[in-house]
Amino acid sequence: MAQSFVFSKADFDSFFRVLQSLGEVSAPIRVSDQSFAFKQINDPREIAWDALRTILPPKKFFYPPKETLLTYKDGQIEESVSDNKFQVIFGVHPCDLHGLGIMDTIFEAGPADTHYLQKRNHSLIVGLSCMPDKFCFCQSMGTSCATRGYDLFLTDLDDDFFLQVETPAGSAVLPQLPMLRPAEDADKERYKDYWLRREKAFTNGFAPDNLRATMDMEWNNSLWDDLGKRCLSCGNCTPVCPTCYCFDLVDIASLSDDEGSRVREWDSCQFVGFAQVAGDYNFRPSPVDRLKFWYRHKLHGFDDAFASRTCVGCGRCTVSCPAGIDDLVQVVKTLQGQKEGKE
Amino acid sequence: MNKESTLLPCIAVESLTGCAGELLVILENLDKLLPFVRVASFPFAQTANDDGPVDIAFVEGSVSNPHDLEKLKKIRSKSRWLVAVGNCAVWGCVQGGACAKCKVSDMLAAVYGSDSQIEVLESKPLSDHVAVDVKLSGCPINTTQFLSVTASLLKDHLPYITHKPVCLECKLNENPCVLIEKNLPCLGPVTAAGCGALCPSMGAACYGCWGPCQDPQMDAMATILHEKGYDPIDVINRLKSFGAPDHLFQRMSFQYNQETQA
Repeated sequence: MAQSFVFSKADFDSFFRVLQSLGEVSAPIRVSDQSFAFKQINDPREIAWDALRTILPPKKFFYPPKETLLTYKDGQIEESVSDNKFQVIFGVHPCDLHGLGIMDTIFEAGPADTHYLQKRNHSLIVGLSCMPDKFCFCQSMGTSCATRGYDLFLTDLDDDFFLQVETPAGSAVLPQLPMLRPAEDADKERYKDYWLRREKAFTNGFAPDNLRATMDMEWNNSLWDDLGKRCLSCGNCTPVCPTCYCFDLVDIASLSDDEGSRVREWDSCQFVGFAQVAGDYNFRPSPVDRLKFWYRHKLHGFDDAFASRTCVGCGRCTVSCPAGIDDLVQVVKTLQGQKEGKE
Repeated sequence: MNKESTLLPCIAVESLTGCAGELLVILENLDKLLPFVRVASFPFAQTANDDGPVDIAFVEGSVSNPHDLEKLKKIRSKSRWLVAVGNCAVWGCVQGGACAKCKVSDMLAAVYGSDSQIEVLESKPLSDHVAVDVKLSGCPINTTQFLSVTASLLKDHLPYITHKPVCLECKLNENPCVLIEKNLPCLGPVTAAGCGALCPSMGAACYGCWGPCQDPQMDAMATILHEKGYDPIDVINRLKSFGAPDHLFQRMSFQYNQETQA
């Protein structure tokens, strides 16, 4: 069984300093009235404790938006290797931990992506509990409890933190944390009480049981056309998604004769060029084709390949869509309930 | 000119009607190009220019008068690759956008008087008149893209130029969305990337200076800006001000067309 401890919030500064001694610490900070972002910090006071969702999910630390994969010069190819800089990612909520778990599955699947794994293996993930807002629906996606993707997990018990240790990397930090005391029965009661309260705090969501059948059956529902007409094809829904992993590869030639680099950059299935192939044929030519494809990929597409869904219910797409068409919960409810948009 | 340099590929940098922004970017980067090319013609930067054939001609500015057109045809006939650089050359820029709004003769009369002898054409991008091999938009062009396009052409590779929207660069910069959070009339969703989402990164709305992205959803963009309270006529003017061609608006819902024409 995973070990559990308790420490007082008054000791958080020294806890943070220990994390800092391991490597660069990144945590959510406030970047605007409504938005947060994971940024490298030096002072624990910078942490935005009320951050529920950052603009970009923590995948960016292991799968950077833009990354040079190799360089070539005079006929020699040199593959880029990670600098093995150790990173600590602090304050990752359960939905994002599940997101990282799904990304691990995808990037570990053969042929393994060494660029991702090198960085992932040089990191420590510290999870953090959270109370849902009106956009959170991890409960419906079965991702509301942290079961993977973290080394340490903190649950907020008012004056204390309840610390769970999941991995050997997490255990290795313990000797440096004198502020910890083993969790006693009373602490465990407080812990259980927190998670019971949280379970009841959700106001958003849907009944997930028939999701798979619904997504299959409602493929031709006219709701898709209504959403497609509003879709800007701006692609905002994909970089913000904790599990969107599609990228574009670009060879950048240098002016000197035989020199250049190969760069991968996040791409989006919402762009018209994404499914454009030789002969100028496009198998997802209109916004509705692309939007529908993305919805299915998130809610059903991975059932066959990995027996899991790739939506973790974080609500990022809902708040990041300028057209307001990525309200996944409303879309699923409409498809299930057939109140409107029925053929 | 030393003997060796005559063996280098030749380039020409020419200008039609534009602000010379592209010429400045190319001039700033000329030291990087000089080891690899001979500059046969660059009237903006050198006095000795020759009219001979070139491997690559970079042309900025739109075709806005008969002289521009004559010059462009001459450049086309002597160039292996014709590269339109900058929004003016690729889309027609603000002078093209103005022509979409009002008659050239009216503009001429308003500015130079009704008895003006100046000859003008409706301002258009290069590809309306001649075959253009590569279109590199920008206002002004991005240095990295310019060097990469040149490098590709020197190696006979097809250059890669992104036509994805500004939103991608903006999100990759992890900027708060000004369209959502500030209700600014940001055109990032329909504008081609390349600038690095410069304006939204500074908290300002994108005004579309790079020209349209690939398959821009103009109707959805207009609908969403209209819902935010922007006047339909202002919205359409904003979308068209950097030369976005009419065919991109053919799918617009009737309501906007009617209100714009009213």
